[in-house]
Amino acid sequence: MTLQIEINNQVFVLHNTGALYWVEKRMLLISDVHLGKISHFRKHGLALPIGAIFKNFSKLDKVIDHFSPEKICFLGDLFHSSLNNEWHLFSDWVNRTELSIILVAGNHDVINPEKYNDLNIKVVSEWVIENFLLIHDPKVRDGLFTFSGHIHPSVRLIGKGRQFLKLSCFFRSSNQMILPAFGEFTGTYVMQPKDDDVVYVVTKEDIIMMKADGK
Amino acid sequence: MNRQELFDIAHGWFDSKGWIPFPFQIQTWNAFLQGKHGLLNAPTGSGKTYALWIPIMLDYIKKNPNYKKKHTPGLKAIWITPLRALSIEIKQAAERAANDLETGLTVGIRTGDTSTAERSRQKTKMPDLLITTPESLQLMLASKGYDKIFKDCTTMVIDEWHELLGTKRGVQTELGLSRLKAIAPKMRIWGISATIGNLNQALEVLLGPESDTFENSILIKAHINKKIKVISIIPEKMDTYPWRGHMGLHLIDEVAKIIKASRTTLVFTNVRAQCEIWFQALLEKYPEFAGDMAMHHGSISRETRQWVEQAIRDEQLKAVICTSSLDLGVDFAPVETVIQIGGPKGVARFLQRAGRSGHRPGQESVIYFLATHAMELIEASALKKAVKETVVEDRVPYLNSWDVLVQYLVTLAVSDGFYPDTIYKEIKNTFCYQAMTEDNWAWVLNFITKGSQSLEAYDEYKKVEIEEDGRFVVNSKTVALRHRMQMGTIVGDAVMNVKFLGGGYIGSIEEWFVSKLHPGDVFIFAGRKLELYRTKNMEVLVRKASPSAKAQHASWMGGRMTLSAQMSELVRQELYAANTDVMSPELRALLPVFKRQRKESIVPDADEFLIETFKTREGYHTIFYPFEGRFVHEALASLMAYRISLLMPITFSLAYNDYGFELLSDQYVDIQQVLDNNLFIPQYLHHDLQNSLNATEMARRKFRDISVIAGLVFTGYPGKVVKTKHLQSGSQLIFEVFRDYEPDNLLLQQAYRETFEHQLEEGRLILALERIQSHKIRWMPCEKPTPFSFPIITDRLREKLSSETLAERIKKMTANYMK
Repeated sequence: MTLQIEINNQVFVLHNTGALYWVEKRMLLISDVHLGKISHFRKHGLALPIGAIFKNFSKLDKVIDHFSPEKICFLGDLFHSSLNNEWHLFSDWVNRTELSIILVAGNHDVINPEKYNDLNIKVVSEWVIENFLLIHDPKVRDGLFTFSGHIHPSVRLIGKGRQFLKLSCFFRSSNQMILPAFGEFTGTYVMQPKDDDVVYVVTKEDIIMMKADGK
Repeated sequence: MNRQELFDIAHGWFDSKGWIPFPFQIQTWNAFLQGKHGLLNAPTGSGKTYALWIPIMLDYIKKNPNYKKKHTPGLKAIWITPLRALSIEIKQAAERAANDLETGLTVGIRTGDTSTAERSRQKTKMPDLLITTPESLQLMLASKGYDKIFKDCTTMVIDEWHELLGTKRGVQTELGLSRLKAIAPKMRIWGISATIGNLNQALEVLLGPESDTFENSILIKAHINKKIKVISIIPEKMDTYPWRGHMGLHLIDEVAKIIKASRTTLVFTNVRAQCEIWFQALLEKYPEFAGDMAMHHGSISRETRQWVEQAIRDEQLKAVICTSSLDLGVDFAPVETVIQIGGPKGVARFLQRAGRSGHRPGQESVIYFLATHAMELIEASALKKAVKETVVEDRVPYLNSWDVLVQYLVTLAVSDGFYPDTIYKEIKNTFCYQAMTEDNWAWVLNFITKGSQSLEAYDEYKKVEIEEDGRFVVNSKTVALRHRMQMGTIVGDAVMNVKFLGGGYIGSIEEWFVSKLHPGDVFIFAGRKLELYRTKNMEVLVRKASPSAKAQHASWMGGRMTLSAQMSELVRQELYAANTDVMSPELRALLPVFKRQRKESIVPDADEFLIETFKTREGYHTIFYPFEGRFVHEALASLMAYRISLLMPITFSLAYNDYGFELLSDQYVDIQQVLDNNLFIPQYLHHDLQNSLNATEMARRKFRDISVIAGLVFTGYPGKVVKTKHLQSGSQLIFEVFRDYEPDNLLLQQAYRETFEHQLEEGRLILALERIQSHKIRWMPCEKPTPFSFPIITDRLREKLSSETLAERIKKMTANYMK
């Protein structure tokens, strides 16, 4: 269910929900939750299942239970679109968790930052912490290791007997780690890893580091 | 005026043209004037238009004896045609008779092509006869005050009903008719159909089972037997015949010879990519065809297609390379010869294509059959037999299509709104929804009003609202607009329009193909080499590429057809003949292939079932040969893979064609164990299929169309760049959300039901399994792939089935790293 790795002498735990836990900072990194997406669709007459709305919150509770973090940093696209009633569910959740929350805003985050401030959530466009950069849109900067989201990375796996699988993944290159989308009902983008990239695929039960072809 | 006087008018007009009415025409006039409803079974080009248009006019004359002096305005009849291209011909034929008889009756067309100006003109003044499509009819139901337009309509004609039956457009038509019956109670309903296996059922679906209309109806058969000659193109030397492949270009010289020897030739291909490739190949090898040859398929711009159709009529073209886009209608007198490239898979389709040639009465239709790979020659001789015995397939109508019902109800809510009790009764009388329960109905109503079955406080779902008087109505203008733009039951893959940089629309190609291209890449489309400049707002901008540039052909998904039950049976009979002395010329041509096959394996007899196993570097192959057609094999492959996977943890990738299917695995499969465990039993079929992963995969694909039709997906506005930000999502995702959170949703269940009834053809499967059980199993372990197996094992489109855990599988895999 989890996998521990080390980057720049810091310890991180990858969780199969797509969350990443920074042990020294006791901080959870979570990207692309896209809250409100189902509600947004329904508001426009597309009848997606109401039940799916709650899954994001129960998933959040699950990782919090597992790691007991001190704070959470959302790496953008926390909300899918403009304000809708799912905001009430979100504020209930925020009040319940009693953790300090930071939002590194993404391209979908169009809700007025004032609304977040009212919930004591700090909204920033990026966050440099020691020699790490936390940002929504992947970007490499000299001397920093980046954690980002935005892409919703997945990878295509190939096996004998012409088997294929497409799975959501953490995508790590030399100076960057792109987190998978945490949210339910979010699509993925298939990455083409190069030889020195490392891929950690997530499944319903596991998180598995992949070998490259011919390595 | 009495019947005789009316008939005299009709006969007089036929006389003036030098024609004699066919018995079926007179029979139809009679039945119509008696007030009957019915179905006319007559082929294209047989005079079916006048069989119905004449009595419609006579009926008008009867009611308006002063018809030459005073025209009574208002819509009299609606003529539904599945193909826009046909409407012009029908209009011309109808106008000719109306004018000659000085009736003053007008004919109008309303299809997707009709201009807005023309439409609004029609709104104030309807023509007497309106020719339209099922989609346009639905759109009229979506406009306010539609009941006033239709209330005096006396006749509804549904042309080419066999094309609509067995599709969701057919269901859409059933629903439209159910409404019009109520608005215009005096309306007669008539269908026209080519020959299909279930004509009686076709009549029942059209009129509604147990309805008064059905009671008062008649089935009229034209009995026009056209002589069809089938000639197989067999090369002199068979050793060059490929074992697989679906292009058939090795016989290009023979095709050119036939084209040269004939006035106009239609060359039918099964898919658009094949059409493009043949066109290009012929031009390259025979540059003299340039200007005399054209291409016609569904993705080419409408203007070009219409130009091609006119050029055929004017006898300006030697040859047209086409797809099913020219299957229907349009009377092309100059067409002398038809060539079919690759198996047509069904008898009816083949007959229809053959019928495109020799349109003049008494003329013989000639069709050449070109087998693209060796095994397909068996289909050729099977087709010959089919033509001789006139075997035709059924068109199976849809039942309980909730997606179409949801769309229809929102359509009614968009125009004048509806009261559920009234509409429920109308719908219950249709064939499609005859078994709908009150619970189903309540579910559908909840779905369009609440977007779910229960109300949640914070939910903001909005679509259809219920007024105080109980009327269901759409009040939101944007919801109404979105619905009107998305109406229809034909769901294609997402397409992008191809345009020249300087303007000029060429056609449309599928999004997934475009996504593989980079600016500067060259591809061949609509017979031209085009260089991608850029893609923007669902538009692909291109410029002409240099003729020497390396290019790839545009390709399209889907379009794979399966052998019908009738064809499979004929193919098996033909194959068994290979072990006898009575062989058709096609089978004799295949002797070298059979010899090679027998070296490793056998050619099965009528009471034998063949299984081959061998190992290659890809893994362990097991091939089964039921000869039941692609769809049945798809299901059987999934079933066998599942049942074997219960014996041991194993992963298979599955492949199939019309002759057999393959289970490929990285592990050895013990066939003796398969036989000992009697895995071919038909019992528990449904249960086992449902548990095989494959059924889910297929349902996922069915759900894609269902979700679009039912308005669960917003596909954007066609050709328009309207802000739809944050509202688009893949239907894949939507399927998963429903599967995980609303598994009892009727639309999701419909996807599974369609998979079992229409895709897996459960009924056929049971028969196939029973047949296999009665056969002697011949398991042949082989050293090398056999000629029979070759086309299957080289198929790249594969499904998979596994009883290993995901983690186990992943551990054996590698990520697809870029080299």
